[in-house]
Amino acid sequence: MRLTIVGNPGHRRVGLFAAAAVRAGLPEPDLLAWRDVLSGAPLRLAPGTAVRIESPGEDAEVDRLLRGAASPAAHGEIVGGRAWYAGLARGLARIADAARDHDARLLADPAEILTMFDKAACHARLLAAGIPVPPALPGSPSGWAQLRSWLDENGWRRVFVKPCHGSSASGVIALQLGSGGRILATTSVELSGGRLFNSLRVRHYRDERDVAAIVDRLAPDGLQVQRWLPKAGLDGRVVDLRVVTVGGEPSHVVVRGSRSPMTNLHLGGVRGDLCALRAAAGRHYAEGLATCRAVAACFPGSLHTGVDLMFAAGWRSHAVAEVNAFGDLLPGLLVDGRDTYDAEVAALLAGERAGAAA
Amino acid sequence: MTIGSHITTFAGLPVAEYPADLGKASRAGSAWRLEDPDYDNTGQFLERLEALAAEDWANQVTALVIGNWGGAYDSAPPIGQLAATLPRFTRLRALFLGEITFDECEISWIQQADITPLLEALPKLEVLTVRGATDLSLKPVRHTGLREFTIESGGLPADVVRAVAECDLPALTHLELWLGTDNYGGDADVDDLAPILAGTRLPALTSLALRDAEIADLVAVALAGAPVVARLRKLDLSLGMLSDTGAAALLAGQPLTHLDKLDLHHHFIGAAVLERLTAELGEAGVILDVSEGSDADRDDRYIAVSE
Repeated sequence: MRLTIVGNPGHRRVGLFAAAAVRAGLPEPDLLAWRDVLSGAPLRLAPGTAVRIESPGEDAEVDRLLRGAASPAAHGEIVGGRAWYAGLARGLARIADAARDHDARLLADPAEILTMFDKAACHARLLAAGIPVPPALPGSPSGWAQLRSWLDENGWRRVFVKPCHGSSASGVIALQLGSGGRILATTSVELSGGRLFNSLRVRHYRDERDVAAIVDRLAPDGLQVQRWLPKAGLDGRVVDLRVVTVGGEPSHVVVRGSRSPMTNLHLGGVRGDLCALRAAAGRHYAEGLATCRAVAACFPGSLHTGVDLMFAAGWRSHAVAEVNAFGDLLPGLLVDGRDTYDAEVAALLAGERAGAAA
Repeated sequence: MTIGSHITTFAGLPVAEYPADLGKASRAGSAWRLEDPDYDNTGQFLERLEALAAEDWANQVTALVIGNWGGAYDSAPPIGQLAATLPRFTRLRALFLGEITFDECEISWIQQADITPLLEALPKLEVLTVRGATDLSLKPVRHTGLREFTIESGGLPADVVRAVAECDLPALTHLELWLGTDNYGGDADVDDLAPILAGTRLPALTSLALRDAEIADLVAVALAGAPVVARLRKLDLSLGMLSDTGAAALLAGQPLTHLDKLDLHHHFIGAAVLERLTAELGEAGVILDVSEGSDADRDDRYIAVSE
């Protein structure tokens, strides 16, 4: 089998997947650079190759091309989510065209990637499939004033406000409204000189004017507003799970624990003890994994998905917070001696053998 | 530190959730947890409370853990109904009001109420823990049963501290107050603690915890000469902003070598003073917890639990 990776050259995601392919006895995969995909360069694929699409993230020039912007964004700046998404759609369409032209096979369905990068569409798809998700507002508020009035109408006092096309907690706000006009926004967003930046520190905003300024800047790029499901805790930290499914089955699971509402590891979250979590969650653990299987079934054209699975405080129930198209970067996490990339390559080879036998 | 997970034991018993754990938990041997699973004030909490009180084994329950009674961030616990219903648990000895994590409701947002009716309705109560102090109040009472009284908060109002100090609690062995920060209503000063430090109304006290205090240094200075200290076996000034000032005052004050344990964890004490503490108290066999130290500058110091 020949593999081609669409990715950013030199990025560790590309290297980790290529290494797994080589470990499995496959030739070193070809690389197609996102930069070429987005700049309109001619795209060449080896005939019949299987194409893995990797994240275009963490490359300033690729980010600029995705947004169709004149200049790269400042480091960490949150800007242009909607334009970025349109660029992703354009790039994926080019990849699909090239695959068709070269009789190549995509290992992820572009339409599914786009659904996963649209939190509202993803939420709707999961909801339609009967998968437990937190309730969400039906639309994207135009700004703080509208968000505030929608929350009042619904009687919702605690929500997660998420940029529709964001990832890795970028721009996410855990928002609480209390009695007497009290407000608390917990977020990694840093408001600086009228611009928004991702920070590595989770901070608190208690002044409604600051919260309004942040929401008003995020809203034009689309917001998904979900009711806050208080998460179960373990050993003093709230926890959730990143469950990577491969070929439709839960394959790798990481417990993420945090002392803030954000559990992302780059925001101070820590990997937790899966055995302890399983003991605490009881039957809800197996039920949660069954839900992840059902999530994967919503994306049948994707070799892998990264499901963020939450358990409600008290381990009463579970729900899916979001699904990540490029959520399989869990370096060093081995299950039966295999990392996520090994598992994906093994699933590809098994699929190939099954195809040959049939 | 924030409070991110629910307690799993209370008053020496494993916590079981009512009604979810009915099939697997010991009825008499569990601390039963009651809460509104949807956090939305639709009356589920009171329904569950009534259902538990109506169980034919309710008279075997000795400990209750009250979690979120609804929207704890904007509604107070139903003290009237609790005071009316809890006496039906005739063997109830331990009560936790507000066992709520930060992901359910930040500690300084937990809406509390006047808890005096609970103490009046439950004369045999031995252990009371309250979390959250927004609108918390208490009238000075005499309660002859209470052995352990804890208020956890991100900011404990001075009038609550004064009311606790004015209570007559002849059986109380453990008193624990999380004083918190002025930013969240913790406006008590050491004068408000004076009756506690004198110990006159607390003749049985052996364990005193004044934790999570922005004013930890001032508390330590006051403790250095406080009459109550001679009777204590445990002294706890953890989670606060204790620095060299307070620690040196403890060293210079009355002897602490009679203590079983001195807990100062989460502190800002420098190496030199730490060394003296360890030498003097360690040698005397006092268990000293000085973990989670920090050398942060004065402006960067913080209490462990505040928001």
